[in-house]
Amino acid sequence: MQAQEPRTLCTTCGAPLGAAIDCFATLGWPRRLAIDRAALERTYHELGRRMHPDRFVAAAPALRDASLRGTARLTQAYRTLGDPVSRGLYWLELHGRKLADNNKEVSPALAEMVFAVQEQLDDLRTVRSVARGGEAETPAGAAETAAIEAEMRTEVEERREELRGAIDAAGRELEANFADWDKAAAESPDGPHEAGGASAPGADARFAELKAILSKIAYLRTLIRDIDRALETAQAA
Amino acid sequence: MAYSEKVIEHYTNPRNVGSFAKGEDNVGTGIVGAPECGDVMKLQLKINPANGVIEDAKFKTFGCGSAIASSSYVTELVKGKHVDEAMAIKNTAIVQELNLPPVKIHCSVLAEDAIKAAITDWRKHQEPAVESADAVPARTAQEG
Ligand code: FES
Repeated sequence: MQAQEPRTLCTTCGAPLGAAIDCFATLGWPRRLAIDRAALERTYHELGRRMHPDRFVAAAPALRDASLRGTARLTQAYRTLGDPVSRGLYWLELHGRKLADNNKEVSPALAEMVFAVQEQLDDLRTVRSVARGGEAETPAGAAETAAIEAEMRTEVEERREELRGAIDAAGRELEANFADWDKAAAESPDGPHEAGGASAPGADARFAELKAILSKIAYLRTLIRDIDRALETAQAA
Repeated sequence: MAYSEKVIEHYTNPRNVGSFAKGEDNVGTGIVGAPECGDVMKLQLKINPANGVIEDAKFKTFGCGSAIASSSYVTELVKGKHVDEAMAIKNTAIVQELNLPPVKIHCSVLAEDAIKAAITDWRKHQEPAVESADAVPARTAQEG
């Protein structure tokens, strides 16, 4: 018989316990990283119903409190594990690792991309300020500047598509990394591991890979944010 | 968040923005990023191979005001310094100079790491002569 795990609901009476437990335990799940969206929804709604504060308005204060805390935790677990990127970040946190530790290097390919895009945005801003500055003396000149600006915008928009594609690809890498963790947990030498593959062989390599993927996504997202901003101001100006 | 006066000063009037020409000799390039926020910094140092003194510095930073100010400040700070001296620059010096609040510490760490990465890169290209002259292996990464 296994030792009693910390739980969200009392196994005897079903009352919310409001215990401070991790996101996986909150859902009553083992630490597996491949998460089925539909199953997550189901568990979230089911547990949410069972400890809904409305059901405990007349209950003892401690129970009411537990229902509130439990519900807050549940929502947090649902959000954290529902999004693969935040799930990955949470996995690091859960194991006392930080994304930024020993992780300042940007791969040359990614760096090149960042600088190329940022230069494009600089150019766009320059052309725009020329266009808005009314420096063109003739209507023909103004039309030409506008045409150049439109062309640049299109190029930047194309870049954004490309970057979105890169994020999608990184998302698939993330899924593959999650699958590696789960596989390690399932094949763990001391039997399938409730706590995930963190203590199974190769964990360091999996952590390093996870960090690399998450960092790449962070740089790509920042780039897309900068593109969005540049295009927006272009629109608003 | 309110930026300190010095940050605003560097931010609105950044020193040494740009890059050295591609094939230029004796230039070390450091590119580092902060994965927490996705900001990226490039720092280039022009170093005299005869005496290891940093003669010029340029940067390009796509990031927050503090990261831009930090990199602008370090380009001024490292000029005229020996690489070993520059290698020893700590982010705390940047924090102090620019009055950075705790949430912006990582921006200054980025600048410190950029210096180290640039010097490391330069050393890599300085074939055996200088390499063997200094016994201390270059650090590429830094506990952040
Ligand atoms: S916020 Fe990330 S470098 Fe400043």
